[in-house]
Amino acid sequence: MMNRRTVLKGALATPIAATAIGAAMNRAVLAQDEPIVVGSKDFTEQFILGNMYLLVLQDMGLETEEALNLGGTQIAHQALVSGDIALYPEYTGTALVEVLGLSVEDVMAQAQSATPVAEGTPATASATPVGGTGSAADYVYNIVKDAYQEQFNLTWLAHSQFNNTQALAVKRAWSEENGITTISQLAEIAGDLTISAPADFPEREDGLLGLQRVYDNGFADIEVLPVQPGLKYQALLDDEAEVVLAFGTDGQIAGNDLVVLEDDLGLWPPYNVAPVVQSDLIDANPDIATRFNEVTTSLTGEIMSGLNWRVDGDEKAEPADVAEQYLTENGFIGG
Amino acid sequence: MSTVREVLEFYGDRPNEVLDLAWTHVELSLIALVIASAIFIPLGILFARWQGGGSTAVGVVASLRVIPSLALIFLFYPLLGFGFQPALFALTILAGPPLILNTFAGMRSVDASILEAARGVGMNPAQVFFKVHLPLALPVIIAGMRSASVEIVASATLASFIGVRTLGQYIVTGISLLDTTYLLAGGLLIVALVLSAEIILGGIERLVKAPVA
Repeated sequence: MMNRRTVLKGALATPIAATAIGAAMNRAVLAQDEPIVVGSKDFTEQFILGNMYLLVLQDMGLETEEALNLGGTQIAHQALVSGDIALYPEYTGTALVEVLGLSVEDVMAQAQSATPVAEGTPATASATPVGGTGSAADYVYNIVKDAYQEQFNLTWLAHSQFNNTQALAVKRAWSEENGITTISQLAEIAGDLTISAPADFPEREDGLLGLQRVYDNGFADIEVLPVQPGLKYQALLDDEAEVVLAFGTDGQIAGNDLVVLEDDLGLWPPYNVAPVVQSDLIDANPDIATRFNEVTTSLTGEIMSGLNWRVDGDEKAEPADVAEQYLTENGFIGG
Repeated sequence: MSTVREVLEFYGDRPNEVLDLAWTHVELSLIALVIASAIFIPLGILFARWQGGGSTAVGVVASLRVIPSLALIFLFYPLLGFGFQPALFALTILAGPPLILNTFAGMRSVDASILEAARGVGMNPAQVFFKVHLPLALPVIIAGMRSASVEIVASATLASFIGVRTLGQYIVTGISLLDTTYLLAGGLLIVALVLSAEIILGGIERLVKAPVA
């Protein structure tokens, strides 16, 4: 899934990013003959999207360099701000909370008051685990788009239809047996349950801390089984845990016939994905925006889950192959 | 960059959680060290007494050290699943090479003429072994336990990838949030545990160095 070179680059990116902060001028972009460095975070969907961007840029005849698998949001974001990479895929909700440090409740309350109820309230929008478009998605997108342009001189291109929200998922049989389809219902018995999640889950505001706050401490006594992200679902399938912290477009949800519980109190903001790009690069090459937007807006929740599952499921396909096949079959490259 | 003060405040804000995680870390490490010592020190002694193939066997064990701890932890996961016992198993295996290598070196380094003299004064083989050979090798064997304990405590961090809440939780969070307070809060405690193990085992090493035979 990752070769030695990208891992090395990921390891190097942090110190490089740290030393380069403040030197706001963008080496990768200003010099035309230097390759466009495409970054990504460290999970399957990001690898696939990063490869799509690489392939589209190559199809446009531009020189590219790959810097996928940069670790978490903070590392990728710093690499982008410092100009070590030219772009990477980011999620609106992640940018809102982790980068801009805004409160989901405040933003969603504003969204609610700013939006006519007829168009769908934020609560119902965020309750749709996959494919959440609607006004809340656009509202959050516009906030991060404006803030990124102003604070970092970075451009958010068009966002996906799909909403790769964080979510809690359970086995279908377990859901039916216990009659649980929402997080509120789960909260009532959470003290007797185990959740499989990455080890940072108990420490995160968009993780257990947020669940405890929004769902009224029902989650105070849930047991956390900390696992490497790639093993989250295995723990559920092995019956080591009843609940798993999922991403909406994880292929394992459909692949293993899991039920995503409704976030009925709206803890999580919408997480639509978009390429975040150095504004100078877009100014110099407006075509990049057009080509990327075609690809991004074609991705529905169902399509993205399917692509993720080809990598994470039994097929164990390479992200680069999955990306190339999708782009070719849909005429986004090679035309 | 966070200061020591911020780390102390971090501990002050959540003393119970810090103690819970640190205790699990210690418990896991300590049990692994005890089990590993019980298995691998006798094995090292056997290798030392095995004149024909002992050196080769130890060479093979030494080469196993190139397997990274992270790989070892995930290697046993498909067989053993998640939780305390699989983590314990991996850490125990991890402690094997330093224990075997040091025990072997300690036993082989005892001068043959001393053992000859012991037999000369009429000791039977068991007496030679327990009263002369083993006591003379013991400081080197305990030095092996010291390096094993360092590896175990450091690698217990990785148990947070297969279902055990150790101090690795702070390290993982620190990496994902790029938050140095978390990294230091976890890292400093792990260093403190390693140093404690060093001091305790170093003390025992000095005690057994007092001439017995």
